[in-house]
Amino acid sequence: MSIDLNLVGAKGAIAQEAEGKWGMVIDQDVCTGCQACVAACAMENNLSFVGEEDAGYGRTQHWIRIERFWEGAYPEVKSTPFQPMLCQQCGSAPCEPVCPVFASVHSQSQDINLQVYNRCVGTRYCANNCPYQVRQFNYRDYHLDPIHANEVDGQLVYPFHNQFNPDVTVRRRGVMEKCTFCIQRIHKAEDTAKSQGREVVDGEMVPACAQACPSNAITFGRLDDPESLVSQMAHDERGFKHLEELNTMPRITYLKEG
Amino acid sequence: MSENISRRDFLKLATVGAATTAVLTGCGPASRYIKREPYMQMPEYTYNGLSTYYATTCRECAAGCGLIVRTMQGRAIKVEGNPNNPVNLGKTCARGQATLHGLYNPDRITGPLQRTTRGEAATEGLEWDAALQVVGDALNNNNPDEVAFLMGMAPDHLFDLVSDLAASIGAPAPLRYGVLSMFEARATLVKAAEDLFGQATLPFFDIGNADLVLSFSANFLETWLSPIAYTRGFSKMRRGNPKRRGHFIQFESRMSQTAAKSDEWIPIKPGTEGLVALAIGRLVAEAKGGTVPSSFENVNLEDIASLADVSMETLEHIAQLVAEAESPIMIPGGSALGLNNGLQTAETILTLNAIVDNFGKAGGVFFSPLSPNEDEIHRPASSQEMIELIEKMKGGGVKVLFVHGLNPLFELPKALGFEDALASVPQVISFATFPDETALQADYVFPDHHPLESWGYQRVATGAEQSVLSGAQPVVSPNYDTRATADVLLAAGQLAGGAVAQALPFQDEIEFMQSKFASLVSQVDGSFSAPEINTFSAYFQQHGGWWKKSAELAAPSASDALGKSIVVEQAQFAGEGEFFFHPFMSPTLGEAGANKPWLQELPDPTTTVMWNTWVEMNPETAHELHIENDDVIKIISEAGEVEAPVYLYPAIRPDTIAMPFGQGHTAYGRYAAGRGVNPINLLGSHFNEAGDLAFAGMKVRIEKIEGKKQLLSRLESRIGVYNEGLEEH
Repeated sequence: MSIDLNLVGAKGAIAQEAEGKWGMVIDQDVCTGCQACVAACAMENNLSFVGEEDAGYGRTQHWIRIERFWEGAYPEVKSTPFQPMLCQQCGSAPCEPVCPVFASVHSQSQDINLQVYNRCVGTRYCANNCPYQVRQFNYRDYHLDPIHANEVDGQLVYPFHNQFNPDVTVRRRGVMEKCTFCIQRIHKAEDTAKSQGREVVDGEMVPACAQACPSNAITFGRLDDPESLVSQMAHDERGFKHLEELNTMPRITYLKEG
Repeated sequence: MSENISRRDFLKLATVGAATTAVLTGCGPASRYIKREPYMQMPEYTYNGLSTYYATTCRECAAGCGLIVRTMQGRAIKVEGNPNNPVNLGKTCARGQATLHGLYNPDRITGPLQRTTRGEAATEGLEWDAALQVVGDALNNNNPDEVAFLMGMAPDHLFDLVSDLAASIGAPAPLRYGVLSMFEARATLVKAAEDLFGQATLPFFDIGNADLVLSFSANFLETWLSPIAYTRGFSKMRRGNPKRRGHFIQFESRMSQTAAKSDEWIPIKPGTEGLVALAIGRLVAEAKGGTVPSSFENVNLEDIASLADVSMETLEHIAQLVAEAESPIMIPGGSALGLNNGLQTAETILTLNAIVDNFGKAGGVFFSPLSPNEDEIHRPASSQEMIELIEKMKGGGVKVLFVHGLNPLFELPKALGFEDALASVPQVISFATFPDETALQADYVFPDHHPLESWGYQRVATGAEQSVLSGAQPVVSPNYDTRATADVLLAAGQLAGGAVAQALPFQDEIEFMQSKFASLVSQVDGSFSAPEINTFSAYFQQHGGWWKKSAELAAPSASDALGKSIVVEQAQFAGEGEFFFHPFMSPTLGEAGANKPWLQELPDPTTTVMWNTWVEMNPETAHELHIENDDVIKIISEAGEVEAPVYLYPAIRPDTIAMPFGQGHTAYGRYAAGRGVNPINLLGSHFNEAGDLAFAGMKVRIEKIEGKKQLLSRLESRIGVYNEGLEEH
């Protein structure tokens, strides 16, 4: 498909292509809320930890988070099924039209939302307009805070920097960031497939969250391939999409409990 | 064997070599480590932009999951699960993911240290040669009976080495301990299996093939025994069979993360788990129409229902579900067993499985297979066995104490007296990687490598259907001037001479490991075989361990279990107070995660609190006591008192308060020290019949500290919760 989603009037065209390219299915019936995906995402994508105080202000850099709500009162109280919440990679994303500098744009080749870090000027309009509250702002240069460093021969040495994934940009203060569906892994899989003269095979690449998930609650793949596991699961009768009524056309289908 | 072959060539050869031909193994000392070079000066085995992957074993808990670590130019970048390892089949938990925050932790001990005054941070460095002399002298100059080894929970190559070393000089066998085994009441579970089936073993619960799971406070989705394996089982139970969805019922006084996934959460009164199991057993046996086993026959159902604070209808409903289920399974968990009647409770729940006759059947109870190179189970020590060591230390019977892989000053309740006992030991030698509380009280710290810089193997105690020996290898070269404890002991043994040198004539730990798995080399029923030991070692590294090809699950005998008579008494609680105290292992931090900042910043799955300790209290109870969210209260038990802020938790019994274990360090680096409180110091010195600490058997009282609040950082919003933040609107 080739619809320029940054053009006025693209919406109608997307509606026909509402399936999208890459997509995810999250089975809430088996998600145990264990946070393995959250940790895996942090390790893969060079996410900063922000410390207790900033965490209390809601400034944590969780590209994926696990939500749970309470229903009823003791003893009939119930925890709603754990709900991993991450960028829904909307087909019609509310974050995109509000960005004055086109830092939040739609990728034509991958059909996902991009965040271009070196365009971002930090207006935070996109985060305000995101109904899923999944965009994170770098309020500080967290990874350069001297409290994480040791002084060696008069120089500050940051041992944690050894761990940075060279495939992912390290973000500085004043920049918005969010889940990318591990685009670096998508690119790597596509490059490998291309060099071997073939298409990317279903299941060949998965994002860090799906790879770690101990209960296999997260499935990732091509929605435009009807044979792929994720396409078939997305049509499960338990499936629903979050805030679908806003017509955001999310690429993530949740499977409800039961 | 060539010593000049590079690691990359070796791995290439190991990959292309057929399983039956010998490969050049490059296992000489010079090529055993990957070098970490500046980016300007690339080692020859790295290609620009290409990663190298190494298989190893996760050491964040003792489950023994296999890892594949992605490295680039000598740096570890990302931890993935090893898809071939039967324990975790490619999956990892949050703690496994955060292993790298230990490897690159800025608070690691960077070289051997000597301390003149215990407890003071000030230390002097010393050379490793001097350190080896210290260890050699400690082995040589003391009466063997006065040497003690204290180690972590994992049954690894170091434990085997220390066992051999201790045996060679006639010292007592090393003790393995971990607070996790206390929270799991592992010794109780093993003892119950021994009493009922005549075989000391860890049962394996095949929940993946069950259609009904009754868990008596087993936190199998959090930290219990082998959490990844049991999570996989849970997933299969729920969604593995398209024709049915497994039903899951959890009995627990507080809704844990595991209970939050249940279909029915039954908040029974703490200490009545065994009685409830008895009642269900009688109802099920009656519904099935067979003979009711004698221990269950004369159970008074109404009494139990009222003691457990559960309705008769609920018991009957559950019993009916069990009786009608195709493959029901009942699991005894930690806080049900960490009570003075814990052993009886464990036996009752295991017998309940005998009543529904699920032993050895899909979805039932099995024995966990032993690891390939062990003859009998080596479980971690119970708290009672720790007391024996502590008493010996207090009595001056221990002249030198070696500590590796655990932090007893943090992991043992103060009431057990380890702190005083440690003061009576003239020489304490710690092998800690991090400056933890125990290392701070040690005269010498000879830091071991981080697990990702280490060789080794680990026996898998439970979780896989087959026998597994998980393998570890360094994925990066050591970052600091640390040395493998196994190598230190081998070298010191040679210095000491005599029986030690004779018993352990190994050049380094790799030779020792090879001697321990030599018997597996030509076994044909394993994941690979090899013509000789060096080739075997190479495959062992490459595959991340060795395991049997097919499942080896033995079945317990139901008639053995049903023939035993069981008497369950009501649990006794220690101390005065209106609240049952329910401490639990933090699902995200575990026992040693507090120094890893990303684990600190993971929200607790049920409360979403980060970076601190909280007390869970029922909102109704709190309202009566005029306590609000974030009010600091003092919790007082017979053993001690702690202060912590309240979290109003809607899913806990009104007569119970709960606290997570994991925080409250006074040392252990900048991310852990001075953060939160350690609830373990509220626990008294009470044990069950299997020697496990009765950690769930405490009663406490609380005092509100007027005017003192401490805001907890939570992921969830406070607005609107219990009307907070709505006053002005």
